[in-house]
Amino acid sequence: MEVIEKVFLCKVSELAENQVKKIDNAEFGDIAVYNLGGRYYATADLCTHATASLAEGDIEDDLITCPVHWGQFHIPTGKAQGFPCEIDLRTYPVEIEGDEIFALIEADPALIAKG
Amino acid sequence: MGNIIKTLDVTDSLTGLKDVCDLENGRIAGKIFYDQEIYEQELEKVFARCWLFVAHESQIPKTGDYITTSMGEDEVIVIRQKSGGIKVFLNACPHRGNKVCFAESGSTRGFICNYHGWSFNVEGNLVGQHESGVYEDSNFDKSKWGLKEVAQVDSYKGLVFATFDANAPSLKEYLGPIAWYMDALFDNQEGGTEFVGGCIRSTYECNWKIAAENFVGDILHAGWTHDSAARAMLGGSVAKVSDFEESYSVNWNGHGYEFALDTVGNVAVLGESALNKYLHTIKPSVAERLGDFRSNMIGSVSSCTIFPNFSFLPGQNTVRIWQPRGPNKMELFTWVVVNKSAPEEVKEKWRKGAMMTFSPTGVFEMDDGENWEYCTKTAKGRVTAQQDLFVGLGMDTLLTDTPLPANVYEGQLNEANSRAFYQYWYDMLNSRSWNEVPNRNVGKQEAE
Repeated sequence: MEVIEKVFLCKVSELAENQVKKIDNAEFGDIAVYNLGGRYYATADLCTHATASLAEGDIEDDLITCPVHWGQFHIPTGKAQGFPCEIDLRTYPVEIEGDEIFALIEADPALIAKG
Repeated sequence: MGNIIKTLDVTDSLTGLKDVCDLENGRIAGKIFYDQEIYEQELEKVFARCWLFVAHESQIPKTGDYITTSMGEDEVIVIRQKSGGIKVFLNACPHRGNKVCFAESGSTRGFICNYHGWSFNVEGNLVGQHESGVYEDSNFDKSKWGLKEVAQVDSYKGLVFATFDANAPSLKEYLGPIAWYMDALFDNQEGGTEFVGGCIRSTYECNWKIAAENFVGDILHAGWTHDSAARAMLGGSVAKVSDFEESYSVNWNGHGYEFALDTVGNVAVLGESALNKYLHTIKPSVAERLGDFRSNMIGSVSSCTIFPNFSFLPGQNTVRIWQPRGPNKMELFTWVVVNKSAPEEVKEKWRKGAMMTFSPTGVFEMDDGENWEYCTKTAKGRVTAQQDLFVGLGMDTLLTDTPLPANVYEGQLNEANSRAFYQYWYDMLNSRSWNEVPNRNVGKQEAE
């Protein structure tokens, strides 16, 4: 898939283990970046159900719990785990360069189709 | 702050209350136990204004720990905050009023209403709704629509009280010197107390005041009402209270504590010698902590009600609220309290002992229930309800020369506390504001 942009998220040193951090991004939507036991992941920060920042939620194993209605998503795949979260979360591949974490924004196939 | 509870407009007081509650002449009438209008006034002028017991600190140690209970007929959630403090919320969604928490206790990150998915965090703030976009389109201000927060919450020795009334006096002032006596049960050892087991709930077809008044100052009934229960538990009758050389009835702001100084008379009815032994073992350290006088009260023949509906028995260690559920119905919530520092087997014996005696199947509780129900039911008769009932024992027993705090009366076989309880009830019903509540306290604020 075509990578259209590489977005700097934060420094590795700014994200402790089993923490999540919200990175503002006006162009692609805010991004949540996670540190799950030394593995880094990035997803959209906005819950797919209602207005809520997932970065304000709690991490339980590899799930993020939305702070508003407690729906859950699987962090590595963005898979919605059940009502009220039925739509999967967009995920972004992550690249580490030195102390810096980047999200790779790929062309959205849905947008390409609408073209 | 949009989430603070709205203060109620005061309605006019009822006329003619003096006919059914005339304590100067030592009489009341059954109407106060059965009348719907009087009951409505109580919900407003007593339960929506006074400090009410809502929880013990030990029930909700960690952030997000909560219990649900009621203040009068208003259902509330009592929940521990991140800050360590405690908040009390109406258990009703501010959208359509649906109950938001159905559990009796638990630990949570918040509450989500079943109806439209309004979601509240531990602080009671509204954090979102299902279909949140439509609220945003209506310029909805989330910050104004959190759970409604009860005006004042405060604790005394682990006991958490709350009042709906922002203008109520402080809890310290409200309890006054009765707090000094409460220490005999709630502060007799380092580390304080905790509740063991859960909340036991039962219902009675009686008015709540009959029960509250029984604990405020009626040990008189025990030797007669509870004779058979005592024989079952002890193999003999209860202590003959009139034989005690020294006993007292003390009261303040309608609260009352009646007690002897026999150390173990109450605990003895649990029929567990290990508990008598425990109290005798800790007594010297209680004397060091609270003085000799109160060390004699740790499990003595005694009872207490904090106005309006919080009661306890030292020794049996039962703690309870008499919840009003209509003029002639009451829901009883009870817990067992123990010293945190007590050995586990002692705590367990207390829990079981309280179940045997003061629970829905407890032998003492059953005795009381039938009496209280018929004290209420006879007042169904229009004529019967208006007849005088005698509350005149010990009219001239006030002690003016005593080092003890509060209004102190000689002897526990005395209706002084019952009169003080009904007098305060009468005063609350006749007062439009706290400033109008007459100060009838004559005793000392503090022990000498």
